[in-house]
Amino acid sequence: MSTLGLPMLSAPALAQGKPRVVIIGGGPGGATAARYIAKESNGAIDVTLIEPLKTFTTCFFSNLYVGGFRDYKSLTHNYDKVRKGGVKVVHALAASIDRDKKHVVLAGGGKVPYDRLLVAPGIDIKFDSVPGYSESAAEVMPHAWKPGAQTQLLVRKLNALKDGDQIVMIAPPNPYRCPPGPYERVSMFAHVLKKKGFKKSRIVILDPKPTFSKQAVFSEGWEKHYPGVIEWQDPKIHGGIKGVDAKTGEVKTDFTNYKPALVNVIPAQMAGKIARDAGLANQSGFCPIDAASMKSTVDPNIFVVGDASIAGEMPKSAFSANSQAKVAAMVIRAELTKSRAFPARYSNTCWSLIAPDDDVKVGASYEPVDGVIKASSTFVSQRNESADVRKQNYKESIDWYKGITADVFG
Amino acid sequence: MRRAKPARRSATRLLALCGGMALGLLSPAAHGADVEYGRYLSTECTTCHGVSKAESTIPDIHGLGESHIAEVIKAYRTKALPNPVMQNVAARLGDEEIAALAAYFATAKRPK
Ligand SMILES: Cc1cc2nc3c(=O)[nH]c(=O)nc-3n(C[C@H](O)[C@H](O)[C@H](O)COP(=O)(O)OP(=O)(O)OC[C@H]3O[C@@H](n4cnc5c(N)ncnc54)[C@H](O)[C@@H]3O)c2cc1C
Ligand code: HEC
Repeated sequence: MSTLGLPMLSAPALAQGKPRVVIIGGGPGGATAARYIAKESNGAIDVTLIEPLKTFTTCFFSNLYVGGFRDYKSLTHNYDKVRKGGVKVVHALAASIDRDKKHVVLAGGGKVPYDRLLVAPGIDIKFDSVPGYSESAAEVMPHAWKPGAQTQLLVRKLNALKDGDQIVMIAPPNPYRCPPGPYERVSMFAHVLKKKGFKKSRIVILDPKPTFSKQAVFSEGWEKHYPGVIEWQDPKIHGGIKGVDAKTGEVKTDFTNYKPALVNVIPAQMAGKIARDAGLANQSGFCPIDAASMKSTVDPNIFVVGDASIAGEMPKSAFSANSQAKVAAMVIRAELTKSRAFPARYSNTCWSLIAPDDDVKVGASYEPVDGVIKASSTFVSQRNESADVRKQNYKESIDWYKGITADVFG
Repeated sequence: MRRAKPARRSATRLLALCGGMALGLLSPAAHGADVEYGRYLSTECTTCHGVSKAESTIPDIHGLGESHIAEVIKAYRTKALPNPVMQNVAARLGDEEIAALAAYFATAKRPK
């Protein structure tokens, strides 16, 4: 292992033959699992996290960066504390998984053997789900649905708009990461236009879905804060999204040709390549799991958590990924060190900012029922709530961000 | 580590307003609460409560009195306390889970 630039293992540690857990992906799913397995096993398990990025910028709260409520740096985290928590962090891309030999092959060469593997690579964008869209088109019409340069490009384009310029968002079909995310993002677009004093700019959302997350409170908030600015079109209104042309900047639906100054295309999504290549995904493009453990239904030595997994009724969110990782970590420890196993319990809450101090939330508790993760109780913000409640929600969301990023990255 | 002070919007105070349930009626951990189970269940709470401070909207619950924690969670469960986030968290907790969580948090330290 020392050839990988990993900290040298002491000879006794090797001789003892500690069970080895390898984790692919250092996002909310993977980093949480790594930290919990290392911490709770007190060094009895050898934990290696494989993640190419030296710093991780969160998609969650990136809409607050779009709206000017946070700076980019505040969304960026490193792996120093993950390492201090007893995890070996290898900054490399996992190129493939050899499921028979039970090792991960790294892009730069080198093999990392495992007794249990946890795969949490997040999503890949299905560029061809929107005709005319591609990786190069995304340089002109950003998706900004993966963090980093894409989000910064979107913000640059937003800030360059002039009064009267139009924004078009193509919203994604289900299932996708962060169900309320597109609608929170549009709220932030409208907030930025309002703050600039623009009177003539309009935003059109072209949605392949007939309804969307927290629709009642988003619609109410848009009417209240940005009257006449945001137009949401379901398939009955636009008749079908025909495609985009990155050269001319056009967006075509069955009924209309748009030529907006800013196009935000959020295509359909699928599990990260490494998971699909290893045969862990089904036809849906995502990975089926056992609801009681987050174990892949394809391979008993592999677990899949986070956006890449098919987690029943749970939305694809950082909160869900973090919650699933804790269940997987508990099961992996139980399998490898005979520690106690407990029934799986999952949870999620997603906050969305509509306008300054006007924040809404949706959440649920989940448990396995007949092999599927199902919600056992849910709540969602209601119309006509007091300004105090909405402001309290916003403050909660800020505290939650501090809490979850500390839980994930230390 | 600093011991948790009661939160600014202390649930205790809210409870007192909601009809003054008596505190301190629950038996302590020594009387059979499953602390290891509580430690597992607490991982759900850590996502929100992990680094919260007493003055946060999400209060620090590490080191709070065992009976206080249990009583407050039960008040969220019956919706006697208002926040939908905590009402939802409490909805699926049985008395055994609440006792386990209260016993765990009463002695737990806020993660560094
Ligand atoms: C605009 C927006 C707003 C959002 N807001 C919220 C919110 O408010 N609350 C919320 O809970 N969620 C939110 N989300 C969703 C959240 O960001 C994702 O659900 C979450 O990041 C999923 O975590 P993950 O660990 O599954 O995947 P990711 O976060 O995508 O992490 C995957 C990691 O795996 C690495 N990786 C991929 N392939 C390989 C490989 N072959 N080898 C090694 N490493 C690899 C990647 O580099 C990456 O670091 C939002 C998302 C967006 C886009
Ligand atoms: C989604 C975020 C979230 C999660 C998860 C969560 N809490 Fe809370 N908790 C809150 C918020 C927000 C409040 C403040 C509620 C209010 O304003 O009344 C709170 C308040 C509390 C209080 C009252 C503290 C006091 O005395 O003032 C207790 C006790 C508590 N939570 C325990 C728990 C336990 C135990 C768990 C895990 C089973 C948990 N919480 C999970 C967000 C959360």
